Formats: sequence, structure tokens, C-alpha cells
Amino acid sequence: MASSAIKPGTLVTLQELEPSSPMFKQGASLRVTGKLQEYSVETAVAVISDSGASLKIDTRHLRDVVFRIGSIYQFIGELLIQSDDDAILQARVGRNVDGIDLNLYYQSLQLRRQFEAEFSNSTRT
Amino acid sequence: MDPVHRVHVKLLACDLLSLVPSSSSSSLLRPRPRPRPPLPISRAETLGVVVLRERRPLLLSFLVDDGSGCVPCVLWLNHLHRRHFSASTSAAPPLDVVLAAEAAAERADAVRLGALVRVRGRVGVYRGAVQITVADVVVERDPNAEVLHWLDCIRLARDYYDVA
Repeated sequence: MASSAIKPGTLVTLQELEPSSPMFKQGASLRVTGKLQEYSVETAVAVISDSGASLKIDTRHLRDVVFRIGSIYQFIGELLIQSDDDAILQARVGRNVDGIDLNLYYQSLQLRRQFEAEFSNSTRT
Repeated sequence: MDPVHRVHVKLLACDLLSLVPSSSSSSLLRPRPRPRPPLPISRAETLGVVVLRERRPLLLSFLVDDGSGCVPCVLWLNHLHRRHFSASTSAAPPLDVVLAAEAAAERADAVRLGALVRVRGRVGVYRGAVQITVADVVVERDPNAEVLHWLDCIRLARDYYDVA
């Protein structure tokens, strides 16, 4: 299994994906969550949004995902930055996460980042 | 014996993938802040999204991504392979072996790309990389289960694994 070639999708909020963010990098593996605003069957491009920020998702490689406007989805994939800092996530996997408590999710994400930073900085023997 | 020896220890992937082999036992060792000695771990639990799935005749290998790392998992499907039961060559496999094979096949079918799965099993090292040999895998329908797993991992690491 070519597991080493697959990077984990770093969990980010859509608001964090602005051009000045360190996460806004060409080819970055990310996991994003948001409400489906648009979906084009012709282009397989979806648009998700959360708290005023939005992101385009290229879903052409996804199978078995049913897209419903207004539902919440989570995607893992690589960020492709086009001209004028226009970004699209090329999704590898996606799933419907209706029922997720986004407030709990984002609060827990902050705790997780704090823990991961402590973990990587700790002087373990 | 350490009290977590036979427990499926909940770990974030970054923590799980940092386990190192032990020279004295089959357990892996979880490094801890000084002056604590490393914590021996033989079983672990991870929860994340299936991002790679490869089915072979006798096993299913898959990768579970929790955002901090990708954990390689192996689910064996070789229960009906002759060398795995001691019956004579003409005998049918014992019923418990057949049932175990059916259960493993059902689990393998449930592990689909994009599914949120909770995996429990034995930790080991294969070709230099930590992996889980799956004892149990279930698909989580509630997306909040992942968040609760993170909080469990953080609390247990801070309040128990690092100080016990």
C-alpha cells in the first residue's frame, strides 16, 4: 500500500483559508467542512460555505456521494491555487456530515491543535 | 504488568505513529516526557476517515486519516485458508472459523472510501511503519463521534498516559 504518499488532511476552517494564511499553500492536503451552497452536475464543482467564507470543491473523483443543497459536507483533498488566489480543493474523499455540532467541532479543533503543538514540542524520551 | 497492557488505548494518529518497537516485548513503546519511562502499548483504538482502501485475496489494507496522521490498518480475511485451522484436508472448516470469516468479510465491506471508522486492534510494526492489525472495525454514523474521540484522546494522554 502506497500509504507514505498520502498526507493527512489538515483540519482547517473555511475562514482560515485566506491567501495570507500559512495553510493556503499550493498542494496542501486539507480537510474542510461547510454547507453545500451550489453544485454543478456538468462541472462536478461544488461550493461550500461556513461563517461567511466559501470554497470551491472539485468532486470529479468522488463516488457514492449524493449532493443536497443545504446539507453539510466534509471533504479531504489537495488545494489547487489558481490565478488571482482563486482556490479549489481537489477532493479525494467526501461525506455528508449532517448532524455535526459545528460549534463543538471548532472548539475541539482548537484544543486539538494545542495538544498537537504540545505533543510535537515535548521532550519525550 | 502495566494496566493498559490489554486495553485498546485511544490515541490520535500523530501519537500512535510515534510508537517505537520494544526490545523486550511485542508491545510498542509510547515515549513520555522525562522522567517517565516509555509506556508499553499492545492494542490501540483510532478513529478517522478511510482515505485509501486496497482489497487483496487474503486481506484488506486501508488508511485511516484523523487529520494528524494516516494510520495503516490491516484486516485479515484468511480465516478459511487451510493453514489457519487444523482440520484434515478433506474436512469442512469449524463453524467458529466460518463465522469469524463471515464477520471479517462483513467488516471489510463496511470499510469504504470516505467512511468514518473506529478501528481497534493490535499495534505492530511492518516494514518500519506502525500499523494496526484489526480486531474490530465499525462505521460511525454520528459525525460528532470523531470530536468526542479527540477529546477522549487528549484527556487520556494528559491525565493518564503521560503521568501514570
